[in-house]
Amino acid sequence: MSATEEILQNAEDLLQPYAQSLTRPETTRLDVYLQRENLLAAVKALVDARWGYLSTITGIDRPAPAAEDDQTQPEGEIEVLYSFCSGAAVVSLRVRVPYSNAVLPSICPLIPSATLGERELMEMFGVKVEGTPDTSRLILADSWPEGVYPLRKSFVPPVRVSGEAEGG
Amino acid sequence: MGVEASKPWQQVLDKIRTWARVNSPWAIHFNSGSCNGCDIEILATLTPHYDVERFGIKLQGSPRHADVLICTGPVSLQAKDRLLRIYWQMPEPKFVIAVGSCGLSGGVFHGCYNIVHGIDEVLPVDVFVPGCPPRPEGIIYGVAVLLEALKSGKRPERTMKVELPAGVDMTAMEVGQ
Amino acid sequence: MSTQQTENRFIVPIGPQHPALKEPGHFEFVVDGEIVTGASVRLGYVHRGIEKGAEDRTWTQNLYLMERICGICSHIHATAFVQGVEKLAGVEAPPRARAIREIFAELERIHSHMLWLGVAAHEGGFDALFMYSWRDREVVMDMLEMLSGNRVHYSANLIGGVKYDLTPEMMDKIRDGLNYLEERLLHYLNVVNNDETFIGRTRGIGTMTREQAQLLGAVGPTARASNFAYDVRVDAPYAAYAEFPVEMVVAEEGDLHARFVVRILETMESIRVLRRIFDNLPESELVTRVPRRIPAGETISRVEAPRGELFYFIASNGGEKPERVKVRTPSLCNWGTVITLAVGHKLADMPMILAGIDPCFSCNDRLVMVRRNQRDPQVWTWADLRNYGIEYYR
Repeated sequence: MSATEEILQNAEDLLQPYAQSLTRPETTRLDVYLQRENLLAAVKALVDARWGYLSTITGIDRPAPAAEDDQTQPEGEIEVLYSFCSGAAVVSLRVRVPYSNAVLPSICPLIPSATLGERELMEMFGVKVEGTPDTSRLILADSWPEGVYPLRKSFVPPVRVSGEAEGG
Repeated sequence: MGVEASKPWQQVLDKIRTWARVNSPWAIHFNSGSCNGCDIEILATLTPHYDVERFGIKLQGSPRHADVLICTGPVSLQAKDRLLRIYWQMPEPKFVIAVGSCGLSGGVFHGCYNIVHGIDEVLPVDVFVPGCPPRPEGIIYGVAVLLEALKSGKRPERTMKVELPAGVDMTAMEVGQ
Repeated sequence: MSTQQTENRFIVPIGPQHPALKEPGHFEFVVDGEIVTGASVRLGYVHRGIEKGAEDRTWTQNLYLMERICGICSHIHATAFVQGVEKLAGVEAPPRARAIREIFAELERIHSHMLWLGVAAHEGGFDALFMYSWRDREVVMDMLEMLSGNRVHYSANLIGGVKYDLTPEMMDKIRDGLNYLEERLLHYLNVVNNDETFIGRTRGIGTMTREQAQLLGAVGPTARASNFAYDVRVDAPYAAYAEFPVEMVVAEEGDLHARFVVRILETMESIRVLRRIFDNLPESELVTRVPRRIPAGETISRVEAPRGELFYFIASNGGEKPERVKVRTPSLCNWGTVITLAVGHKLADMPMILAGIDPCFSCNDRLVMVRRNQRDPQVWTWADLRNYGIEYYR
């Protein structure tokens, strides 16, 4: 386990300058909260140090909690996790972007294989990734309506009543 | 099969046709979004352990040569169009066997946004083979049921109207269904 | 993924329905004569929307949904999910349950690799090997059926343990089967290494260097065949891999031949580990008590599927349904390699190179598909093609 600890410590040192805060949710994990502006620099630090590999890009929809009576409705956000793995260690760079300005820089110039994850992010969450090599419609069926992002919490799959035809 | 069996020579011809059809159905396999399990089992029926070729059943690459469409999966929105195309490309008479629970009703994927919930929503299905996935024996039995129905001429009338694949103008095509 | 521009290019489309593809996927190869100069892939025919569906199902229901992401590696999907949920709930499966998970996982790996060996040989036109390996694969299928009652989706996992126990009689039967399989695998290894026609189709084809593998994000046996040594079973042991470790199999060459060898040796390694587990199967109950509510939190669960690293991100909000489940399957990572490796090879080698990564469309298409940038002027619609055919034969 100490080897993993060392690897994580190494990553922590690399990412410290860019991070808003760092946490260790599990013994093998390091979560790094970043501002959007620092994302590229943080990824570059990991890539330059040849720290692990990009495993995946995960989007999470964080809708705003219901507003209190005398407050304005706070805005929902999309949280994006860039998970890097090295051995047993996993480092997640976490960036939050608001719905109204859901824009992220592309990390494809640094890691070409990130394109799939970024395109997924654009299609499923409506996050605009600037500078990704291919921005065309990519995930869903050709007939899917524009501007509907299935993995946002606000999207509810149409209810299908089974057995309609049979009268059951 | 569409020929009116009025003249004796036509009756004989029909008998020969049915005989040929029952003894050597060529099948095409299409996965419309299943998890693979059914597809592997379909493939397994071709291999020495189950060996459907001894019944004359052959998996065929081109829809133009196929009599039977063996289809799996809940029909994803993207695959729906391709499924229709393959169906329209098959020559008459054509038969559809739906394999697996999700091909029957959507199964475990029921309620997912990107599926049509079953092959029978898109195509007229002749035989349903339930199971998740069905055993190879089940799939062979499904084909046998179809062949039995063909032999006795008891195939139900097809009333379902099959959609055209997107972007195809059927007035220009004299493909009769 | 990327389409290289050439003058007067000719595009050969393959799929979504094609004799060489048992699952739907669509490829376009830009060729100059026989040589491929560019390639693109468009997946998505099997996209079902499972990640959204997971948010709409309870934790237990999801177990069965995750299993049905893929019919080849169903157990490993469920294992990854269950381990994540157990981590969230703060429980650990009993030792015997973890060992049984490993048994299922390794049996699944044997069946998956043998399946792949057959399919890959089939793509290379070597149907005899296809039939033989699938015949022998039935031995594993019978074992799995004996253990779980089903051939494909074993549903062996529960949150907090496993459902099925092994009796000594079962273990004896499996041992007999493994002895037979080992003998057969040695034979296949011999075929792969010594059959001249086979070597002609595999050696030096689709070569990927270690740097390329790393850059393109290759995983699993595809990466290990390029000497990019990492295996979650070894690097971050889960289930009972700490007690019953596996040895990593790597090869230097990075070509198709190396991928065949790595997979066959991995299968033999699985057999070795299985024997060890059977000799030392720990005694304990099968299921541990799990709190009724899964506490809020997030976790990452990584396992080594037959095709490579499988990555689950699971978030809980303390409710009865997950907040978010993200699945990153190994096939997805390996696509980038195909597109790059295809360039410069003969069109006839394409099916083999495609099969070489052991692609699994249903894994992939759960979420992602790729398509080319813009509609090519040389792409013909179906009606165009039909009219052309009619005119041609007139």
